[in-house]
Amino acid sequence: MDYYFFIDLIQSLVDGLLFGTTYALIGIGFTLIFGVMRKLNLAYGAAALAGTYVGLAAAFVTPLPPILVFFVSALGSGIIGYIVYLGCFRYTPSSHPMAALLASVGMLLFIDELVIHLSHGMPYPYPSVLRNAEITLGEIWIRGDMLFVFGICVLAMVILYWLLYRTSLGLATRAVSQQPRAAQLCGIPTGQVNALTFVISGVLGGTAGAMTAAAVGVLSPIIAMSLTTKGLIVVVIGGLGSIPGAIIGGLMVGAAENVFQLLRGVTERDIYVMLLLFIFLTLRPGGLFGNTEGRD
Amino acid sequence: MEFYLGLLQILGVHTLLGLSAYVVLLTGQVSMAQAGFYAVGAYVAAMCTAMFGIHILPAVIIASVSTGILAMIVGFPALRVRGLMLVVATLAFGEMVRMFFFNFRWQIERDGKLIGPNGAEGFRAIRFFPENGWETGDVALFIWCIVVIVLGLLWWVDNTRAGAVLRAVGHDEVAAQSVGLNLTTIKVAAMALGGAIAGIGGGLYAHTVTHIEHGVFGILLATFAIAYPILGGLGSVFGTLLAVIFIQGFLVEGLRFIGDWRSLLFGALILLVMNLRPTGLLGERMSPLKTLFSRKSPVVTNAKETQ
Repeated sequence: MDYYFFIDLIQSLVDGLLFGTTYALIGIGFTLIFGVMRKLNLAYGAAALAGTYVGLAAAFVTPLPPILVFFVSALGSGIIGYIVYLGCFRYTPSSHPMAALLASVGMLLFIDELVIHLSHGMPYPYPSVLRNAEITLGEIWIRGDMLFVFGICVLAMVILYWLLYRTSLGLATRAVSQQPRAAQLCGIPTGQVNALTFVISGVLGGTAGAMTAAAVGVLSPIIAMSLTTKGLIVVVIGGLGSIPGAIIGGLMVGAAENVFQLLRGVTERDIYVMLLLFIFLTLRPGGLFGNTEGRD
Repeated sequence: MEFYLGLLQILGVHTLLGLSAYVVLLTGQVSMAQAGFYAVGAYVAAMCTAMFGIHILPAVIIASVSTGILAMIVGFPALRVRGLMLVVATLAFGEMVRMFFFNFRWQIERDGKLIGPNGAEGFRAIRFFPENGWETGDVALFIWCIVVIVLGLLWWVDNTRAGAVLRAVGHDEVAAQSVGLNLTTIKVAAMALGGAIAGIGGGLYAHTVTHIEHGVFGILLATFAIAYPILGGLGSVFGTLLAVIFIQGFLVEGLRFIGDWRSLLFGALILLVMNLRPTGLLGERMSPLKTLFSRKSPVVTNAKETQ
C-alpha cells in the first residue's frame, strides 16, 4: 500500500464516478419504462446506440458542432424509442409478459444488425468537447471531456426531475406507474403516457449513448451490449422502479468497474461487477431503494 | 450429403439448447443463463475427452451432471427474485461464465502438445471424433439418439404429474402454492434439469466443432435458447423442435443466399410472431390437470394486468 497506489485508486474512483453518470442515465431509462408498464425493454441499449448513430449520420450530412450532434443523437433515440414501443409493447397482450420480453429481444437483434449493416461494423470517430482541457487537484487530474459528460448527464437528470415532479405530464406518468387502472379512471390516457415514457427514456438513452461515445472518442456497435448489461445491473442494484436508486447504482457500478480494472485488469473487471450484482441479488433482492411489494 | 449431415448435427445440439430453456420456461421463469450452462458443459466435456482421454459418452454425462449441479447452485440465489429480475440475474450469470472462460487457462501436455483451454484463444483440438474414426454421419446419428432420448423423456415427463406441477407453477404461482406445491423446490429442480440438458448440448457441440471459445457463448446464444421454445410455443416439446428446424434449417442455412440480411430477418421474425401469435407457433395446449390449476378468478387476472 504505497502512496502512488493510493493516488491511483482515488484517480480511478473519480473517473469511475464521472463516467458512472452515463450508466445512471441508462438505468433511469430502464426504470422509467418498468415503472409505467411493469415490463423490461431489452431493446433499450440498442435503441440508445442507434440514436447515437443517427446523430453521427446527421454530422456526416452537414457539419454540426458537437453539442448539436449530441442533441440530434438524443432526439433520434427518442424517436427510435417510440418505434420500439409500437413494435414490442403496444400490440402484444399484457396477459403474456413473455411475448413482450421476447419481442424486445427481437427488436434488440434487429436494431443491432441494422446498425452493423448500415455502418459496415466499423467504428467511427465521435465528436467530443473539452478534449484537451484538464483540471488538476493535487495529484489527481480530471479530464475536461469527462467533466463535460458528467455535467450533461446531471443536467439530463435535473430536467427529468423537473419533468416528473413539476409538470402535469409528470403527474400523469407517476399516476400511471402507481395505479394504471385508477389513472385510467381519472381520465389519463395511459396509452399516450406509455408512449411518451418510451420517448423520454429514449432521449435519456440517446444522451447516455452520445456521452459514452464522446468519452471513448469512437462509436462502435459493441457499445450496445455493454450499455444493456450495465444498465440492467444498475437497475437491479438500485431497485427496479426507483430513480434515485438508478443514480446511486450507476455511480456505484462506474466506480466499482474502474477500481476493479485497476486491481485486476481490464479482462477480469466485468466478472467482479457481475459478482457484485449477484451479491446484491442474494442479500438485497429488492435493490437499494426498491419496494419489495407489488413486484412482478 | 456431408453438408446436410453437418446441418443435422447443428439442429441436434440447438434442439438440446432449446429444450433446456423449455423446461425452465414451463415454470414461468425466463432464464438467460442457458448459454452459460451450455458453455460449462462444452468446456467440461471437451476437457474430459481431449485432456484426460475419456470416452465421449461418460464425458457428456459428467458434463451434464456438473452443469446440473451448477444450475442448482445458481438457482437458489437467483430464484429468490422472480420474473424480470431473474432475467437480469441469469443474464449476468451467463456473462460471468463467458468472462470466466475468457480468462481461464489450464493446459496439460499430451502427445507432445499442449492441450486445454487457453484464455481468449479458446480450446483447440477437441478431436475425439476424428481420432476415433467417427464419420459425420455417425456423429449425427449419435447426437440424434441423445436428442430423441431427451425429447422422449421430456415429453413423457410433460404428460405425468410432474409436468402438470411444472405448468401449474408457471401459470399461477399463488394457486400452485395454495394446493401445497413447494415453489422453490420445483423451480430449482426445473433449473437443474434445464442445466443438465444444456450441459449435454454443450458437450456435444464442443466435439462437433473441435474448437470452442468464449465469444460463442454470449448473449446471442442465450437469446436463441429462449427464442426456440417461446417461438415454437410452450404446448409441447415439438414446438421447440419445430422452431429449431425453422430457424437453424430455414432462416440460417436455407436463406444463406441473401447473405447478411438473414440476421436482420431473424429479429424481425421474432417481432412478427410475438405480435401475431403471442403464445408461439404451436400455441399452448391445456392438459386437464392444468386447467384445474389455472382457473383464475377475474380479480386475479386483473391484478396481474395492473401489476
